[in-house]
Amino acid sequence: MILDQLIWPLLLVFAALVIGPYCLVVLDGLAARSFGLAQAQSVWISPLSRATWLLKQQTNMTEAPDQWGWRLAPALYLSLAAIGLALVPWSRDWVATDIVTSLVLWGSVEALATVVIFLQGWSANTHLTLIGAYRYVALGLSYILISMFVLIGVALPAESLALTQVVASQEELWNVLRQPLGLPLFLIVGLAITFRGPFNLADSTDLAGGTSADVSGPQRLVWEFARSAMLVAFSGIATTAFLGGWLGPWLPGPLWVALKMLAVLAVLAWLSRVFARITPERCVSLMWVVLLPLSFIDLIWAGVEALL
Amino acid sequence: MSGSLFVDIAFILLALFAVYTGWRVFRTDSMVRASFFLLLSFIAVGAIMLLLSAMYLGVAMFFMMGVEMMVMALFMVMFMMNPAGLNPMMMVHQHKLSIGAGIVSFVILGAMALLATFPDQPLPADLKEVQSLGEELLGDSMLIFESAGVVLLATMIGVVVLSSQRGRFGSAQEGSMPPGLEPGGDPAGMPQEDDDDGGGHHCH
Repeated sequence: MILDQLIWPLLLVFAALVIGPYCLVVLDGLAARSFGLAQAQSVWISPLSRATWLLKQQTNMTEAPDQWGWRLAPALYLSLAAIGLALVPWSRDWVATDIVTSLVLWGSVEALATVVIFLQGWSANTHLTLIGAYRYVALGLSYILISMFVLIGVALPAESLALTQVVASQEELWNVLRQPLGLPLFLIVGLAITFRGPFNLADSTDLAGGTSADVSGPQRLVWEFARSAMLVAFSGIATTAFLGGWLGPWLPGPLWVALKMLAVLAVLAWLSRVFARITPERCVSLMWVVLLPLSFIDLIWAGVEALL
Repeated sequence: MSGSLFVDIAFILLALFAVYTGWRVFRTDSMVRASFFLLLSFIAVGAIMLLLSAMYLGVAMFFMMGVEMMVMALFMVMFMMNPAGLNPMMMVHQHKLSIGAGIVSFVILGAMALLATFPDQPLPADLKEVQSLGEELLGDSMLIFESAGVVLLATMIGVVVLSSQRGRFGSAQEGSMPPGLEPGGDPAGMPQEDDDDGGGHHCH
């Protein structure tokens, strides 16, 4: 009873939180290599050596930062990622946080991520981090709306806001086929909220590192780790909401979830290497003029399907 | 019930945290910090609502307040003479009036909490709270509210489409002028015009 409801799900959440970001960085290295970008080290070692290098660096201080925000923002971002991972159902019984509104709780994780990313850039009290923070808020508010519509579309066929019900509703047909617009839009939002690839605007090189420009040492390590962990949490929710979660033949449920998450991470790592970073103005236009109406079409699609 | 002691302790801790952060809103010296303290206070209240098994309302509090406080912080910094919200500034004004208003509202709310009779029947286990909340709030006007929501959203998208850079009327940057260096002065950073006819006006 306790083993099924508490210990196994929690162990899986922690495993995903530790192994997931490592897998993502390795996949990212493999994607970079497949595009012919030189890697100084083996892709398997380089995440670890970068982590130890960051751990050994001293922590920089800026002039009069907001001490609490400056210290807490990376940890808060990581804990939001952990909350996201805790919502992923690994099988019918193994769910760390099984509440009736887990889909809405994921939505609030996305909304609070905006606050935490702003806090990271704002609290340093330096120019470039501040510009990164404001840029992120201006863009982040437009991503969240897309994500909300896509997730409401997922809740409609399940007639429930619980992620376990969402998986159960995909017994006949996975949502990725039932609502073909949903998964691509959700993955774009995932890349945008963790600012990777084409949507790397908060931490981008044109701002000399943006929100993390003046962050160094272990604090920087936690921030980068949290960014990856957040994308792992996104892949977990994408697996649950669109790829049928634990559903699948032969293998046990948790293994299916892990395999699907890895596949989603591989796609995300590849996508973030294919496209160049877009400019903030074009990004806002793209979000509001193209992707938001598409997410609305997705919602209408889901609604009509639920009525039929 | 085994969980009830834990629930009581969590309730007390969250309530104290909500009050403390609510108090810090007025004691801090930056708009952004004040908004985020308010956000922390609301998150604690949302967690209390989860303890009271208002599953939807509690979680809705998190995301609504997350976005709301972020937008509020942004707009306050935009309209205040406090660049980026890190310069120290006073968070309170109208001291005597606000102290009086605070005491009066505390007494009224406290009296309500102590004197009102609250229902003590346990809710049925199969209560659909999201559905019943929706019916309680909107009732027969559900269709009107839902269509109003869709119209509002369409308006939002329409406004953004019209005001985006490449809108119906071409690029927003085309033909735009930078503001002058002094009020009513020449646009800053414009190429110098030929001034050989002295008057500054090209009459011929």
